[in-house]
Parts: sequence; C-alpha cells; structure tokens
Amino acid sequence: MEELQDASIHHTAAKLINTIKTLKNYEPLYENVQKLVCSPSVDRNDMCNTLEEAIKNAGLETEIRNIIFHLVRSKLKPEEKPSQININDPLAYLKRAGVQWDRRVRKSLNAMCSELKMASQGQPRISTDRDELLSKWDELSNYTIDLANYRPVYAPKDILDVLLSLKGPTKAAENTEFVQVPKWEFSHISLPVKNLFELRNHYSDLLRTESYAGSSDMNLQCQRVLESKHAPLCQHLLRKGNTPAPYRGALWSFVLGSHVNSFDIEHWNRLKANVLATDHIVDKLVFKDIQLTASNDDQYFVFEDVLYQVLLCFSRDTEIAQMIQFEHYPIKGKSYEAPPSGVVPFHGICMFAATFCYLFDSPINLYFTFRAFYIRYCHRLTTINTHPQGIVSICLLFEKLLQTHEPQLWSHFRELQIQPIRVVFKWLMRAFSGHLPPDQLLVLWDLILGFDSLEILSIFAIIILSFRKESLMQVNSLDSIEAILADLSSVQVLPLVQLALSRD
Amino acid sequence: MTQESIRRSNASYSNMYGRVNQNMTHERMKVYFCTDLDKSVLVNNFEKRGWSQVSADDDWNFYWAGVQTCRNIFSVDSGYRMNDNQMINHFPNHYELSRKDLLVKNIKRYRKDLERDGNPLAEKTDVNWSGGGCSTRYLYLDFIPVTFVLPADYNMFVEEYRKNPQSTWIMKPCGKSQGAGIFLINKLSKLKKWSREAKGAFHPQIAKESYVISRYIDNPLLIGGKKFDLRLYVLVTSFRPLKAYLFKQGFCRFCTVKYDTSMTELDNMYVHLTNVSVQKHGGEYNSLHGGKWSVQNLALYLEGTRGKEVTDRLFGAISWLIVHSLRAVAPVMASDRHCFECYGYDIIIDNNLKPWLVEVNASPSLTSTTVTDRILKYKLIDNILSVVLPPDGVPDVRWNKIPSADALGNFELLIDEELAAQEEAQNSQQNKNSKSMGGNRWK
Repeated sequence: MEELQDASIHHTAAKLINTIKTLKNYEPLYENVQKLVCSPSVDRNDMCNTLEEAIKNAGLETEIRNIIFHLVRSKLKPEEKPSQININDPLAYLKRAGVQWDRRVRKSLNAMCSELKMASQGQPRISTDRDELLSKWDELSNYTIDLANYRPVYAPKDILDVLLSLKGPTKAAENTEFVQVPKWEFSHISLPVKNLFELRNHYSDLLRTESYAGSSDMNLQCQRVLESKHAPLCQHLLRKGNTPAPYRGALWSFVLGSHVNSFDIEHWNRLKANVLATDHIVDKLVFKDIQLTASNDDQYFVFEDVLYQVLLCFSRDTEIAQMIQFEHYPIKGKSYEAPPSGVVPFHGICMFAATFCYLFDSPINLYFTFRAFYIRYCHRLTTINTHPQGIVSICLLFEKLLQTHEPQLWSHFRELQIQPIRVVFKWLMRAFSGHLPPDQLLVLWDLILGFDSLEILSIFAIIILSFRKESLMQVNSLDSIEAILADLSSVQVLPLVQLALSRD
Repeated sequence: MTQESIRRSNASYSNMYGRVNQNMTHERMKVYFCTDLDKSVLVNNFEKRGWSQVSADDDWNFYWAGVQTCRNIFSVDSGYRMNDNQMINHFPNHYELSRKDLLVKNIKRYRKDLERDGNPLAEKTDVNWSGGGCSTRYLYLDFIPVTFVLPADYNMFVEEYRKNPQSTWIMKPCGKSQGAGIFLINKLSKLKKWSREAKGAFHPQIAKESYVISRYIDNPLLIGGKKFDLRLYVLVTSFRPLKAYLFKQGFCRFCTVKYDTSMTELDNMYVHLTNVSVQKHGGEYNSLHGGKWSVQNLALYLEGTRGKEVTDRLFGAISWLIVHSLRAVAPVMASDRHCFECYGYDIIIDNNLKPWLVEVNASPSLTSTTVTDRILKYKLIDNILSVVLPPDGVPDVRWNKIPSADALGNFELLIDEELAAQEEAQNSQQNKNSKSMGGNRWK
C-alpha cells in the first residue's frame, strides 16, 4: 500500500514536472533559476542545498508553489479517453445529453450563419470596418452595427428545458402512467450531492465566530497575506466573507493565478488584432448580449465599453478551448464548428464579466481574471455536465435541500405544479450575476473562490426562498412567485448563508 | 408599483375635492399640507403620515412651495405671518447659495474674511501653469473652479486667462438651470464675438443677463471612459447655528457620449454636460437607468480599483466642500426657524480625485426618470420629513431641531454647530484644568 502511494506520488510529481515545462511561465522561471545558479550565493560544491536556499530567498519558491497549486486544482485530472466509454456508466445518458446539447448550440449558431450569409469561421474584415473598429476600440458603444437579425443563441430557460427533459435509463418507463404529474425532479439522477451536515463541514470556517475579525484587523491580514504571495493563504482569507474591497482584486488574482505577465499582454494584443482582422458572427452576438443586459443595467451600464473589448477578445481566445475540460461521448451525426474560444455566447454571458469591472480598471487585468473564473466556474454552470459542481449537481442539491429543509414550500410548489427549480434557475446559472447588487455579489463570489465550490449557490438560493416563504405560501402562480423573488437589492449574503448552514 | 401609485394619486384627488374640515377642533393633532408641485413622491409621503391637503389660502402646517411662492410669503407686502406650527421648504433668500454668481461672491468673501482673521484655513499656495503663468490658490478652500462674473469682472478674467491661455472656460447664465444657455470658450476672440452679438439688437434679453465664466475642469475622472458628475442631496434645517445633513444615496450622472477634448467636440454639449435634462435629448439616452449610477457603486468601484485611503479622502473632501459652502452663506442667510431646505449639490471629480463644486440647486428635480430613481426620491422626501419634524410629527418652531439617530434615516449629520458647541462646553467642563483640544472637526 505504502509503495503504491509512493509510486503514485512519484507519478504525480513526474506528471507535474512535465506539465510545468509546457507552461508559458516556465521559460521566465527557468531563466531566473539559471541566473541564481550563477550568483555567488550558490556554491558549486553544495549545489543542491545552496540553490534551494537561493530559490527560497529570491521568492521563487512561492512562485513555484503557486504554480503547483494551480496545476493540481485544474490540469491534473485523469484524462478521459473518448474511445473507452463504460457502457455501464450510470451517467452515460447525462454525458450524452451534454454532448448533444453542445452540438445543438453549435448547430444553431451555424444555422444563423447560413441564414445571414456569414462564414461560420469568420471572414476577413473589410478595411473601412476595421478602421472604424480600431478608432472606436475604447468607445465601442459608438460602433454601430445593425443587430436586428441577431438573437441570443440560448438563454437559461433553454438549458433548463433540456435539463427537465432528461430521462434516466430506468426512469423512462415509469413516468408514462402519471402524465399529470410534471416530470420535474432531478432525484433520479445518480450524481452524489452533499447533505446539510456535509455542507456544514465543508463551510465550517463560515460558522466560526472568530471569523468576525474587526475590519482594521482584516485589512492588516490582507496586507500580510498579499505580501506573502501564497495563493492558498489568499484563498483561505476569502473564506471569511468580509474581504475589504481594496484587496479583493489582488486576492482573486492570486487564487486564480491570473496575474498579468508580459506574455499575457502579447496574448491580449494578438486577440485584439484577431478581432480587428476577422469579422465573426460571435462579434454580433457579443454586441447583442451586452446591449440586452449590461447596457440597460443601472449597476453596470458605465462599464459597457470595457465589456465589449473583453468579450470580443474572449471569443477569439483558443486557449480557453484548450483549458476547458469538455466531457466526451461518442454520438453519431455531423459535428459543427464552434467559435475559436469553444464557447458559444449565450444570453447573459457578459454579466459574468461585468462583476469584474468593480475590481479592475484595466481591461487586460480584468480579462485574465475573468477568463480564469469563467473556465473554472462559469463553464460548469452553462453547459450540461456531470461535474460534482456542474449545473445539474447544483440543481439537484437545491432540490434535495428544499425537499428536506423546506417541506412546506416543497409541497406548495408541488400542489401548484410549478417546478421550484424554474424560479431559481437563472440565479444558479448566472451565479447570481445581474441579480444581486455588486457589493453583495462580490461577497458571494469571495465564498465561491474561498471554498472553491459552487455549492454555495444552492445554499443561498434556498435561504432566499426560506426568507420569503410567508409571501410565497400566499401566492398561486409562477408570475407572482417570480415577482416576490425579483428584487434582491436588500439581501445580505454573509448572514443569510451563515443562517442557512446553522439551522436544523 | 405603478398601479399602486395611481391608486394613491387618485386617493389624493378625492381628498382634494372632498374638502377638509374647516372647524379644526383637533388643530394641534391634524397636519394640513399644501404643495405647489403635484408630485406623487411628495403627496404619497404626506398622505402616508395621515396629513390632509389644503389650498394655499387655507390654514396649512406644511407647505412644499415653489421658490416664487416662498418669496411672496416672506415679502413684506404679503403681510403673511407664519405661526409656530408652520413650516416651509425654502429659506427666503436661498439664492445666495443657488445663484451661480452669488455663490461665487459669497465664497470669495468667506475666504477673504478668514484670511483677514489670520485663520490657518485661508492659507494660500502658488500654482504654476505649463505655459509659464502662475496663479495663487487657497490650499484648503480651493473647491470651486476659478470663476468670474461677466460683464462685471471682465478685466480680472482676462488677466487670469492670459496666465494660462491653453485652458478652456465655460460660460453659464446666472439665472438659468438644467444646462440652458451654457457654452464653452477656448479663445478670447470667441468671447469678444459673443459679447458683440449679445449687445446687438437681436438679443436684448441676453444683454441684460449676467454670466459666470469658470475654468473648465478639463481633467475629469472618467469611469468606463465616460464623464459624469455627482448629484448629492443636502438638507439644511438651520443656518445659524448651522445644521446640515447629507443624504447617503446620491448618484452619478453620466454623459451618454464618450468624452473627447478635440476641438470638433467642443460644441457637442452632450459630451460636456451631464444634466439629465440635457442628456435626455441625446440620441443614446437609456430610459432604464437614465445614465444614473449610485454613489455606493462609485465608492465600491473606487475602493476596488484605487484603494480605501484615496476613496475616503475624496468623500471627506466632498463633506468639507459642502460644509464650507454653507458656512460661506450662513451670515447672509435669513435663518428663519420656519424654514428648511433640501439642496441638490452638483459636484465634478477630477482625475486626481479632487471634488469641485459646480453649482447648488434649491429646487432639485423630484421627477423620477427610472424605477430606482423613484424609490430614491420617495425615500429622500420621507427622510427629509422625519428630520425636519419634531418627534410628534407636528411642525413646531419651538423644537430644538436635534433629531434622534433613528429619525435620520439615510441622512448623515454633516455639521450641527449647536451640538458641537454643547459637546465642547461639556468637554471643557470635564477638563477644566487641561487645555481643550479643538473639538469640532470642521474648524
């Protein structure tokens, strides 16, 4: 057993080393180590020890530790080989649904292309258009294009309808007898989700009374942790849920490993050049989405122009497609091309980015932190997948918590034949962006990053329903329920989440 | 929301026509209000308190008046004398603060007075312009852009202009509001041309009018590339002693067009003026947010992107500016105990995060442009009422005008000279032998 563990550590280490060598920051890192080797502090006769000491003193050790922290979190998952699909996998149908959904979305994008006579992989931008786009790059709200024929490819409602129609392998036959009862529960999906006890364990830091540190104390802690540059310490600090606004951007960048290096600036410039050179249908969809959402939002409209830049570059970023872990399942039929980023823009995608406008002034800094957050979290919420924090699991968790801890509300919804998930789905899929006021949304996302989990979304959705239970029990239609839940401007994240976790 | 307000305004009409009991056996309990403005944010708030509407000729306790009505009531000719249970929402000579030329005159006099008294607040410093000129500025009281009244101060203006001929100046008619009649000048010749035309037969009305000309803030703080100004609400319940409160829910008003200093844009007023009444005529006005962004969001953004210290310093400087502008007019204000006033302060922040007072409005708009705006203005009126009224809710000039902490709502105390003096007296009694440390933070 020990041997096995030992072997696995060696295996992991070997894998890590190989992966580090492929990273963009490997080269500058290696150069720095080389410089250290030449420095007088490194003794040729005691190379190993003195170099290690020198690496520590130069702060490179922290940098390497952070790199490993990010790698272990994201890139070292066992790779799934698409050819070897286990037929007995109880989640096979879910994976298939995910792949089918992805294909459907791409197909619909391609259909829009042919309808509007645009090349699905973009076409060279005509020079007058390119000049205009370039001259208005910092004020893209003044770049006018006719968007009348464009509409978002999909909205939360579309993905919800697919989720609600998911049929497990055993469930299919049973339901035919009860046509009256809507098929709306996720409980047949055999994804493991935590119960309240397990959640309480996971979020135990939130329930500690000592976490109510005074704000001046918290400022000091933030300064110290940021000086240490340790990503895991930064992450830990976010768990308190009372991060002072001035330190948030820096803390998030450490946790997500999204500090901007010179090669990142080059990357951004290449993305921009690509936007200027190619006219792609996603550009129109990006403009359409921002105009439908952020431009009309009294919390975010001021950032409209930054958002155009960020999302246009996002659409061209092929690194996103490489970093996102797509699930595989062999399905028959034609496959369709996706935009360079692999992400088909949906209704509300820009609201994920809008949140970051309160943290970063420069579009470049904003871009890389948003991109890292998107890849790690938003992607799981906007595609159908089997990830324990994917949208399906988050819905299932919500449903189980509601059934167990709000039985009254549960049966009320049941009597009305309204799926409770319908009322909260857009909150969950958008991680509350555009629904909570920015100061509270940032606290919620602090907790997502601090605990590295999206489960907080379900917990928070439940407690909002609990808080408005009395009003909810008095109404009988979906419209009235939605009206009761429409305004979240007075909601305070931290006390509510603490309450949700500590109740019986 | 809208249905509710329609129902409420219907109710107010039925009250109006249903006539109010004139016998007034419960005069001390029942409050009668009168308003010149038929705004639902006002009427809903009055009716929520169980007040009844009467006409201006009836006996009223609370009058939300237009400035002209107020002037008439206080004029010697009217012979109207208010009793102890009456309140009105303007000071008789509020124009000392709200007229652009008088505001400047009062602030200049205030600074001179302090200087003469050798007050350290009036310390001065030199500013060197890139063109080689040099101007003298107050170190702590430099919160309005350099301003002259035209035609009276024309020669002084030319002298200042020559020190830095690159700068742009903004001309505003003294008596107008909401951005009317404003234009920019970057060449002296343009001003001369204007003055010749104004004296011509075609514009007799302009000839009589005086203008203020101010150095244009050409380095405004831009957010998302856009220019904005701040609209803050300040409630004054007394000028002597000065009692003033700041409403925490102000907002930023954004230009809908991108900011650009190139000359071709100099005539596009949408770029330069942030008044909603001007912006509404721009092609890109958005009726969902109306170009308004809350001060809370501004603070969140500035803390997140610039840090806490500079943000705190900015908001501290804004409070400082408001208090000193009020102190500047306090000696000339008729501080009638029946009066209170809610001022709309317009402030521009430059890219060094320094706030500049642009103007003060004595009748800030109560028209709601968006749902959020409506909620805000309803709250504003509600909070004003609870600050200006004694705890029993009946207007009474004999009350000491010291509201409880609960009554403040979203207002925060800027300054209460009476309270400050009381505290100082207490402190000096406690430390009779030790030297008193300079109590009031505004001194």
